[in-house]
Amino acid sequence: MSNAETLTTATEPAAPSSEPAPARRGGRRGEEIAKILFVVPAALTIIALFGYPVVKNLVMSFQNYTLRTFINGKAPWVGLQNYVAVVTDDLFTKALTNTALFTIGSIAGQFVIGMLLALFFHKNFPLNGVLRALFLLPWLIPLIVGSAAWRAILEQDSGILNVTLENLGIIDAPIPWLTSPNVALIAIILVNIWLGIPFNVTLLYSGLQDIPDELYEAGALDGATGWKAFWNITLPNLRAVVSVVLMLGVIYTLKVIDIILGLTQGGPANATQTIAVMSYQRSFVEFKFGQGAALSNILILIALVFAIVYLRATRRRVDE
Amino acid sequence: MITHKQRLAARQTRRGLRTAIAIVLLALMLFPLYWMLNISLQASGGTLPSTFLPWHPSLAGYTTAIQDQGQNLVTSLLIAIGTVVLTLLIATPCAYALAQFRFRWISWALLAILISQMIPGIVIANALYTLYENIGLLNSIPGLIIANAANAVPFGILIMRSFMLAVPTSIVEAARVDGAGLVRAFLSIVVPISRNSLITVGLFAFLFAWSDFIFALTLTTKGNIVPVTLGIYTYLGAHISNWSAVMATAMLASIPAIILLVIAQKYIAAGATGGAVK
Amino acid sequence: MIKKRVLAAAAMASLVPLTLAACGGGGSNAGGSASSSSEAVDSLTVLDYYTDEPGKSNIDAQLQKCGTTIGVAKVDHQSVPGPTLIQKVLQQASSKTLPDVLMLDNPDIQQIAEAGALMPLGDFGINADGYAPGPVSAATYDGQLYGLQPGANTLAIFYNKDVLAKAGVQPPKTWAELKATAKKLTSGKQYGFAFNATADYEGAWQFLPPMWTNGGDETDLKSPQVAGALQLWKDLVDDGSVSKSAVNWKQSDVNDQFIAGKAAMMLNGPWQIPALTKAKMNFGVVPFPVNTPDQKSVAPLGGEAWTVPETGNDAKKAKAAELVKCMNTDENQMLRAKQGGLVPTKLALAAEFKKEVPSMAGFTDAVASARARTGKLGAKWPDTAKVIYTGMQLVLTGQAPPADAMAKAGAS
Repeated sequence: MSNAETLTTATEPAAPSSEPAPARRGGRRGEEIAKILFVVPAALTIIALFGYPVVKNLVMSFQNYTLRTFINGKAPWVGLQNYVAVVTDDLFTKALTNTALFTIGSIAGQFVIGMLLALFFHKNFPLNGVLRALFLLPWLIPLIVGSAAWRAILEQDSGILNVTLENLGIIDAPIPWLTSPNVALIAIILVNIWLGIPFNVTLLYSGLQDIPDELYEAGALDGATGWKAFWNITLPNLRAVVSVVLMLGVIYTLKVIDIILGLTQGGPANATQTIAVMSYQRSFVEFKFGQGAALSNILILIALVFAIVYLRATRRRVDE
Repeated sequence: MITHKQRLAARQTRRGLRTAIAIVLLALMLFPLYWMLNISLQASGGTLPSTFLPWHPSLAGYTTAIQDQGQNLVTSLLIAIGTVVLTLLIATPCAYALAQFRFRWISWALLAILISQMIPGIVIANALYTLYENIGLLNSIPGLIIANAANAVPFGILIMRSFMLAVPTSIVEAARVDGAGLVRAFLSIVVPISRNSLITVGLFAFLFAWSDFIFALTLTTKGNIVPVTLGIYTYLGAHISNWSAVMATAMLASIPAIILLVIAQKYIAAGATGGAVK
Repeated sequence: MIKKRVLAAAAMASLVPLTLAACGGGGSNAGGSASSSSEAVDSLTVLDYYTDEPGKSNIDAQLQKCGTTIGVAKVDHQSVPGPTLIQKVLQQASSKTLPDVLMLDNPDIQQIAEAGALMPLGDFGINADGYAPGPVSAATYDGQLYGLQPGANTLAIFYNKDVLAKAGVQPPKTWAELKATAKKLTSGKQYGFAFNATADYEGAWQFLPPMWTNGGDETDLKSPQVAGALQLWKDLVDDGSVSKSAVNWKQSDVNDQFIAGKAAMMLNGPWQIPALTKAKMNFGVVPFPVNTPDQKSVAPLGGEAWTVPETGNDAKKAKAAELVKCMNTDENQMLRAKQGGLVPTKLALAAEFKKEVPSMAGFTDAVASARARTGKLGAKWPDTAKVIYTGMQLVLTGQAPPADAMAKAGAS
């Protein structure tokens, strides 16, 4: 029983006449209902939108689901066959490695840069608000447009990036950003970092703004400034926001396909294949929906591990 | 002895320097958008601008975009704004509940919400198509608003909850002691304190809805409701693409959106929780 | 107690979407299955991927005119982006809301027909007599015709007349000439040749001219003829005549390179001609060269066909078949070809078409002998296409020699 509830019941006899009788009768029960009602609209929405897809995706991974199924609805049960097929596929290990590299590289880059930018914008200076808002501009551009622009920039022979690097004397020969199996993964990680910065910067900035200035002032009196202030005041208070940003960042990065398909189609020679891309291609290019579902469920299992870690980390503590 | 004037001048210089650095960082970040601008001014319609600066700008892409995409822009704005409102309405109370109430099943609820974020968008869109087809919500702006909002609600709950964890229960208890009901306390205390997170979630709900392609494609079958993300395909055929018109559309469409975002960002102020406890 | 009730309500609520989705068959078409063919049809729905203007308006005009001709008041024409067409078809199939007339890219017809989604056109008295063999074989599954294709395109070598004249070379007729000419024309920022070698069906499509011309076959990818074709692609990239970016260039990028003067020759199709004309390019077209003198140049068949999905409504299906037939009349084939940069598929129209559009003479001949990708493998083509583009990329990125590449890519 929380403190709030104890207080409520304790004050009941103190003010019975100031409230209309029906609302006060069974007050605690009314409160229980009210609390549930806070959650009901969201619960209904989430179940309605996500309930069926989650179940269907799971069931489909155990079926032989093909083009024909869309017409006659028949999908024979095949147990773990799809899972075995995808895991023993030559491409699986490579896709798994790429997924790990892609996710770690993207999150590390996005988060660090996002945090640095958020700290930078935390100080007040002219045009702060406008410039911060403009950082969100990349998210207003449809992904297909963004990929086309990046392909043009990263083009090996005449793309502006290589041209600039060569003109500045930083490189001698053009870098095969999207055309070399060794470099392509790095290229898409860089583009994904670029895409992820607005997300990280905005959320971390909001989190920073929520930390009361008094804490910093009190800390400064004790001699905690600069790095010490960051480590002892900022980070602990930012913990919840940092956890959710990293958590969601990982989940969303695991799902990324548009930017990879737009830039390299998973090539060259499968150098940028990830589990998510493999799942999409199995389902919507090769029409082996059971295998595609199996791959996306494997991805969900991986994400679940992170989710459980996150939930442990943000378990609600009694005293704040 | 440093005079007050000197200290003020030093601070202003530091501030000005920060602005300059911020502009440089922004320029680096937005360079690909500059490149889109460059491509949009090409006469050829291809993606190969021959020079760094557009020496021979052609406004053909822009005139085409303005002629064709006006209605689509309005559609996108309506859907995005509607999504923001609906998302905040649904997600905010739930975020608070999951942050502050002592339910035994909170971890499970959070796990369910997190799992919902792991599903590929196309799987959700396919399921939603069948549902909408049955209840007749296809080809409607409210339908798209509901779909986008439902998609953004789990994200909103997770983000706002992490902010609301820091709301001290003492403030709410103080209001309850004064006789306020739960809902009243929520609306008059918690919501204002959580202003930053509400605006942030609102921003992202807007961005998700604005850049959504998969719902726009799946949940429309007649071509009468066309958000901009779908409208650009007027210039992208199966074989031929007019990229200057596409980029021009993207640039123009982002203008009203960025204005809204700039206004919203101004409200993310510091220390919203500051004076409340006192 | 309250919590239990709420949980029960939530459980009930979760059943709602499940049951609604399960009742997916409640679409409007299911109710019409008992109608006889004499019932009047006042509207037909058409789905295609002609999203871009002026293509969309041109097709729309043809559809509306045909609608009037066959006595249907309204033709609802919907266009979706190319890569999303099949997804849309699948969504509609599972909710029983397929369109009455469906456009399909010719290599997709066999798979959709195999799944049972299409009506054999023979049931409506439609045949493809007098059509070029390519479109017919692409649309024929299990001995039955499922689609009628009004226009076709294919691949050929475009060359920059000015650049070649200046270097004093002729457009290549053999592979040896192709390699030599490309090498000679590579100077400064200009590559001699450009093609698309991406890791998707487009890359596989562009590899078919050398593969088929050299006698290679999609049923036997490990043969030396296929390895020979891979060797050609590899040689062109290795000696610098073709940019390494080819593994990332779509056909539209190849065209951009050609227009920008960064490639003297390119492998592409007639749909690029409007852009080339607009850029005032002085270009010529020759068929893909042959390796040895006894070979004939073979190019793959491109273009889309109109099909009649199985919607369960007999009256509408009959009218839909009439619409498909109308879109393939001589007049409509000529119109479509001229507007869409295609070649009419009826062989009888070839002579007249060459007279009216002389610039397409070469393509007209090529289409007559163009080969369907699904001609031999039918619904199994996509799996083979994947092996082809994977093997091709392994060779171009130096990860496998031509002799082993297809095996490494999973060829059986």
